[in-house]
Amino acid sequence: MEEILSKLYEMTALSGFSYQVAIMWVIAFVLLYLGIKKGYEPLLLVPIAFGVLLANFPGGGMGIVPAEYIDLEGGRYKNLFEIAHDYGIMNYLYYSLIKTGFLPPIIFMGVGALTDFGPMLRNLKLAFFGAAAQIGIFSVLLVAVLLGFTLEEAASLGIIGGADGPTAIYTTIKLAPHLLGPIAIAAYSYMALVPVIIPLVANLLITKKEFKINMREMDKKYPAKHNIKNLKTVKIIFPIVLGVVTAVFVPSSVPLLGMLLFGNLIKEIGTSTARLADAATGPIMNTATIFLGLTVGATMTAEVFLSPKTLGIVVGGFIAFAVSIAGGIVAVKIYNLFAKKKINPLIGATGLSAVPMASRVANELALKHDSNNHILQYCMASNISGVIGSAVAAGVLISFLS
Amino acid sequence: MQPFNEALSIMAVGMITVFLILFLIVLIGNLIIRFSNKFSPEIVAEVKSKKTQSTSENTFAAISAAIDIVTKGKAKVTNIKKI
Repeated sequence: MEEILSKLYEMTALSGFSYQVAIMWVIAFVLLYLGIKKGYEPLLLVPIAFGVLLANFPGGGMGIVPAEYIDLEGGRYKNLFEIAHDYGIMNYLYYSLIKTGFLPPIIFMGVGALTDFGPMLRNLKLAFFGAAAQIGIFSVLLVAVLLGFTLEEAASLGIIGGADGPTAIYTTIKLAPHLLGPIAIAAYSYMALVPVIIPLVANLLITKKEFKINMREMDKKYPAKHNIKNLKTVKIIFPIVLGVVTAVFVPSSVPLLGMLLFGNLIKEIGTSTARLADAATGPIMNTATIFLGLTVGATMTAEVFLSPKTLGIVVGGFIAFAVSIAGGIVAVKIYNLFAKKKINPLIGATGLSAVPMASRVANELALKHDSNNHILQYCMASNISGVIGSAVAAGVLISFLS
Repeated sequence: MQPFNEALSIMAVGMITVFLILFLIVLIGNLIIRFSNKFSPEIVAEVKSKKTQSTSENTFAAISAAIDIVTKGKAKVTNIKKI
């Protein structure tokens, strides 16, 4: 009888249960609560949280195994059938879809098909602030190296400051795949917290007078030299030319930017490619999001996640985010010192990706100080350029360190 | 100190590259706008002249906006007739 009970006990998950597993369950439940009840990036946080839960059922065999497990002698790897046979379907999905770097560019294609470059093309000058806001990525890279992270880990940590989930995941896959879980969680959590972080940094750095800078009045005072007569043609030519130029200068950013621009092109062409754009933004992107979320969550096994480095990632990610926002604001302030046509510094704060939430938050802040000051379309200009900026920054990090 | 120095150089190269690419975007964008303004200005005059015959500007704008939202920009109103 005792033997049967012991065998029963061995068969259940109870035999492999430990306090580390319990902590991971609590983390998964908290993430599920944030995604379902609080609405924090639910499309990603819910699959990630459930992936965490699946990976931490002892005996379930859904946790992602370290890359060393699939290494063979002579620089070769196990094939996908062997991985599925030895470590289960979640590892099969992870090593075929994530480790190969397949899903983030696919998601970027959908993002491109959802992106409208119109606001940026109407206010091209504002694109520079999307560059300034990438400073957080590189500042945290420096600090993280001083704190003992390797260069590759520090770069993956810094890229959280780009505020772009697929970019952060893609960079981490290439540079520090063992940190993928915590970095993805930190990136998406802080993106969900944009409505809290932007006001926090903006109130610290922007004066009341600056909050009230009215962009439309500035446009009336100092009108643009060239108005766009045929926006549709410009929108179609733009992704093609931009794709060629970035491919020449930063080839390592092509997987992300190339797919983003392709997605954008099929959207802008119109009716004749509308079916492709619908597929990219609908079924393809949704399927990719499910598998990305579940597999990234499944990398967070107790052994990997419960380490001091995770705490460093959580803190470092926040600093990267805040410094990026501050970098954009300071760049606008410096510009305003020399320019007649002043720019509202909130537009600099949206230089990090997080489209369109960052713009919406900045617009609400501006409206709080002046109910007639609608700056959404201007914010979108630097916001969209931030997507390109963070992908370029990721390309630089990958080409230097991989 | 070597990793820190390397991180510093990555920072310098990274920020310069990001600014360079976005500078190129501004430049390319302006060139494309000038090019399209010159060689492909929008042809809307004919459409506008037709619409005002039987429908007011406001009604036309409202119907156009509704069609734009429902069809996600795939369809365009060129003429409205009362039957």
